[in-house]
Amino acid sequence: MALDGPKLLNQLKLLVVIGIIILIAQRIGWDRGIIDAIPGMILVVAISFFALIVKGILPNVPMPAFAWASLAALILSMPFMPTADWFLRYTDEVEFLGTTAPILAFAGISVGDKLTTLKKLSWKVVIVAIAVFIGTFYGSAIISHVILTIQGII
Amino acid sequence: MSDQDTRTEAQLIDPKGRIPVFLRLTLTVLGISMISELIGIQEIPTGIATIVLLPMLYAVVIGIIITPDVLGKPIGVLQKLISTEEIKLASPMVMLALLPLGVKYGTLVGPNIVEVVRAGPAFLLQEFGNLATIFVALPIALLLGMKREAVGATVSICREPTLGVIGEKYGISSPEGTGILGTYLIGTVFGTIFFSLLATLSVATGLHPLALAMASGMGSGSMMTAASGALAASVPEFSDQVLAFAATSNMLTGVTGLYMVVIVAVPLVNFMYRKLEPVIGRGGSAKEE
Repeated sequence: MALDGPKLLNQLKLLVVIGIIILIAQRIGWDRGIIDAIPGMILVVAISFFALIVKGILPNVPMPAFAWASLAALILSMPFMPTADWFLRYTDEVEFLGTTAPILAFAGISVGDKLTTLKKLSWKVVIVAIAVFIGTFYGSAIISHVILTIQGII
Repeated sequence: MSDQDTRTEAQLIDPKGRIPVFLRLTLTVLGISMISELIGIQEIPTGIATIVLLPMLYAVVIGIIITPDVLGKPIGVLQKLISTEEIKLASPMVMLALLPLGVKYGTLVGPNIVEVVRAGPAFLLQEFGNLATIFVALPIALLLGMKREAVGATVSICREPTLGVIGEKYGISSPEGTGILGTYLIGTVFGTIFFSLLATLSVATGLHPLALAMASGMGSGSMMTAASGALAASVPEFSDQVLAFAATSNMLTGVTGLYMVVIVAVPLVNFMYRKLEPVIGRGGSAKEE
């Protein structure tokens, strides 16, 4: 698939705006100086943009851009990589939890048009959904706990 | 689904002629983020476990309540800030805003890569834990009198890939499709709130924080973040490892989840439905497929 240039450019602009929101929010919540965190934020935005490009080049690989962004940062920060030192030093200035409030603010607003549909659902669906959430969470947690114990990791 | 907006994502994020929409949405999100960070992390000790409330939790709650369907109607001025256009734009913005978090997760996994690889077998096998939805939730759905809706609602945690699979197999307006849309919708609206509470309370079960971390990777970036963020704050001594394990598990589910649903979950849920429905189903018997 060919890359959609205008779309990517708009995405880059919006990533920069999101970066600025994070810088301001983490100044308040985590006492991180805005100027100190700018180089790290530039790296974070650059890798995010890279993930969007990879996703555009490989549309048939079932990995969301989010996973590409993680994978790229993972590779750059592995202990035996020459990049690990400086990459972690700069990106450490961007607080992990500081990136989360804007995401969930957007997420909360984005479900605003689904509330009417939600009200039409029966209370039974709510109970079943809760059972589904609890099932998948504890199903995975119990298996992980058993295997990690057998392996002697925990 | 009810929304008939035919605009593509590329059109939605094009600011040409829509600058005010972008400004209203981003400034609102900036305001919400600042308020949420000002409130800060709150810990509520209960008898069994400490509930940890993170800024992201306030952000999602504030985001929901300022939309027209909740506070927008009574407080008219909010509708000037957030209405249909801003809500539509918020969806693609979530995907973009997740990317910096994805990078941060990578920086947590990278330095821990040796531990993550050592835990490889657990990562792979815990993917089967997602099938527990069928064993836990299907009987409950049948006892409540649901029929084929139960198959869609309980086949998995019902994120986008499963929605695609069930939609293609049964049609999204089929009973199975109705079921999956129900779970999907509730997850979309309440998933982050629910999982951030469930994760911190689960520390009291005695399951190891790393096991709970793996369970937090369910194939949804925002739910994983809510669960693992809250979990990491409750067990600070494992904080980095918890986030690294959750991110790895989520990446894995992102890749394997679809195949798991197609190859294992759909046949299994249908098998269980055939076995259980005649025994515990309520009301008249349902036609099959």
